[in-house]
Amino acid sequence: MDSKQQYLRDCVERLATRREVVQVLGTGLIVVVVEPLHSWQEEDDVISAKRPVLRIEVAPDGWVVLRTGKVELGQGSRTLLTQCVAEEMGIAPAKVRLVMGDTDTCPDDGGTWASMTTPETVPAVRKAAAEAAGSTLHEPSAWKVLGQSVPAIDGRDIVTGRKKYASDWMPAGLLAAKMIRPPFYKATLESVSAPDGVRVVKDGDLLAVVANTPREAEVQATKIIAMWKPSQLTPPNFKRDSEMPVFVEGARYPAIVKRGDLATGDALAVKRLKSEYAVANIAHVPLEPRASVARWQGKKLTVESGSQAPFLVRNELKQHFGLTERQVRVRAIDPGSGYGGKQRGECELEAARIAKLAGADVRLAWSREEEFERAYFRPAGVIEVASGIDASGKIVSWDFHNFNSGASSLTPPYAIPHLYCGFHKSKSPLREGSYRSLAAVANNFARESHVDELAALAGIDPLEFRLKNLSDARLKEALERGAAKFGWKQSKGGMACNLEKDARLALFVELDVVKTQVKLKRIVCVFDCGAILNPGNLRNQVEGAIVQGMGGALFEKVQHDSERILNAKMSKYRVPRFSDVPPIETILIDRRDVKPAGAGESPITTIAPAIANGIFASTGKRLRSLPLMG
Amino acid sequence: MAQWSLEINGKTEKVVAEAATALLWVLREDLQLTGAKYGCGEGSCGACTVLVDGKAERSCLLPISSLKGRKIQTIEGLSSAEKLHPVQKAFLDEEAFQCGFCTPGMILASVALLSKTAKPGREAVRQSLNGHVCRCGSYPRILAAVELAARGAK
Repeated sequence: MDSKQQYLRDCVERLATRREVVQVLGTGLIVVVVEPLHSWQEEDDVISAKRPVLRIEVAPDGWVVLRTGKVELGQGSRTLLTQCVAEEMGIAPAKVRLVMGDTDTCPDDGGTWASMTTPETVPAVRKAAAEAAGSTLHEPSAWKVLGQSVPAIDGRDIVTGRKKYASDWMPAGLLAAKMIRPPFYKATLESVSAPDGVRVVKDGDLLAVVANTPREAEVQATKIIAMWKPSQLTPPNFKRDSEMPVFVEGARYPAIVKRGDLATGDALAVKRLKSEYAVANIAHVPLEPRASVARWQGKKLTVESGSQAPFLVRNELKQHFGLTERQVRVRAIDPGSGYGGKQRGECELEAARIAKLAGADVRLAWSREEEFERAYFRPAGVIEVASGIDASGKIVSWDFHNFNSGASSLTPPYAIPHLYCGFHKSKSPLREGSYRSLAAVANNFARESHVDELAALAGIDPLEFRLKNLSDARLKEALERGAAKFGWKQSKGGMACNLEKDARLALFVELDVVKTQVKLKRIVCVFDCGAILNPGNLRNQVEGAIVQGMGGALFEKVQHDSERILNAKMSKYRVPRFSDVPPIETILIDRRDVKPAGAGESPITTIAPAIANGIFASTGKRLRSLPLMG
Repeated sequence: MAQWSLEINGKTEKVVAEAATALLWVLREDLQLTGAKYGCGEGSCGACTVLVDGKAERSCLLPISSLKGRKIQTIEGLSSAEKLHPVQKAFLDEEAFQCGFCTPGMILASVALLSKTAKPGREAVRQSLNGHVCRCGSYPRILAAVELAARGAK
């Protein structure tokens, strides 16, 4: 079965309204649907008993179907989970078919976030596959499919342009919707007028037009005259407006981390240092602006979109419309990535509201400007660090406060006897949310910059200083191997490390500074996430994360005045390009005996402090605010 | 609205649209050629790249009225179902993508570059593709893929 047939088959099996089946059949391919997965499309508001959600199913034609609530964003989950099934069932990866991110047919594996596919979904899928095969889990030392660089399952579709992303999903018979946005970031609608013949949809501040085609909707949208009252965007004062950290039992990212006693630590210190760091709001800029298709059949709502978190979006829709879980189906279509930016259902909710008001099936596609302004940004923040070292250069006290940006990666990897790390919630004029690795970039930027400052204060080489203060053997090994590869003793550069989401990272960078411009010349990165499940894909993830991290490190920043976002365009918001990227040498450490950690996020956390430390090494100037060239 | 005759992937396609309509929307919405992607609408990301008379052009900025008698090639027309174009093969061999949304544009721009310069140096590839964004950051692999294609497939 070639990939086109595969795609058509997916269409039939996964969507299968009558109209679509006819459309697909109309291409000349005969597809036999043995057993439709759903019958609710035939009904009105009577919801049939749901077919039980099956993780793994051996189809009559010998295909093994794996269902997962996770989504493929480009991080390789489709291939990785295929490998798990192939490994445990002893079959070829080509015999495995994934159904991903469909809330009606897939188990809720949680959102595709926080690098949880590897630690959580991989074990669940391996276990289910082993059970289906009636065997025990394969030992990592005997892996035949896992641990191999299995090529991306959808690679051929990608290079031929056949892969269908969320915005490519344009079934016939839908109306096209276009949101009418205020020329301000936040505003309330005061009045609206539209000429005859324009189909306007209005509900509170939701204002849209619908038309037969997207181009017609674009034209109609220009005919609307809407008056908006802007809200002021007050510059944030993160420290002044902050709350005290609150410890919540069982939180994934606790807001307070304590060890020993700060006063005791301070008494041991012979040298002290206090510094403040800052990070700006940045945008995810997934290359694909989002799009959603929404259809109502009586009280049953179906939404298809490039969501990273279809189950979360289902809940948002359910709550907004007062529906039951069974009345809402969200089906994720692979997005042109997300990086944490496509976890909330902004576009999905708009599409569903418009469809309901228009009484028609609707497709809503956002523009690039909407993608910038109408989703959410990575939080900005301020981080204060006060620390002390003893006469031998050991860090003895560490008082670390993150205001607004987030609680992830608060815990330092260093063996510091007395520490307090706290996350203080605060207020921001912009809507903020998740971003690849959450606040780990901000916290590791502050931490690793500060450690470099302490090394200078102690008069000790930054590598030696880190090794002296670390106890984690794997992290020390990563640093030592990276330093050897980089030639730390001979080369001038910057370094940073991290122990994030169970992965150990070390990064070394050589750079040139000319006036305010920083030119990266060479990067060496060491990454240890335990057992490597797919080395080829892991290398791609690690290097891609480093490249993405360069943007936030050097130049990415959302700018606004008191009413508007000023750079909500690709031509105004600079993202890393070919010319920014130096050669990257990556050393992957494979530990088959160690449970694998997720790796989509943590490699983004070391580049910013390594660059800041490199700038210091090269110029003597300490920059404490991201972006460094901003 | 007028009817336009466009030569796309070796076929003549008739479409009805305003003269100023960008080729990208006609490809995607009228002809279901969705390999050309919308990324920014201002020629800043390269995701919508197609070949016009063999040259890489931003289809989001090309009014269809400007395309009379010109040969348009999209990613869908680059290879047959069985046999990949050498540049496609090189991208696949190097796995020079993550989400893949930028890939059709990257491949077509690389095809245009290699048809003009058979053996471009790394710096020439970098400069030639600098208007293309890969937000997943697969740039090092894309450079390797273009170099691989220039050397002849693996």
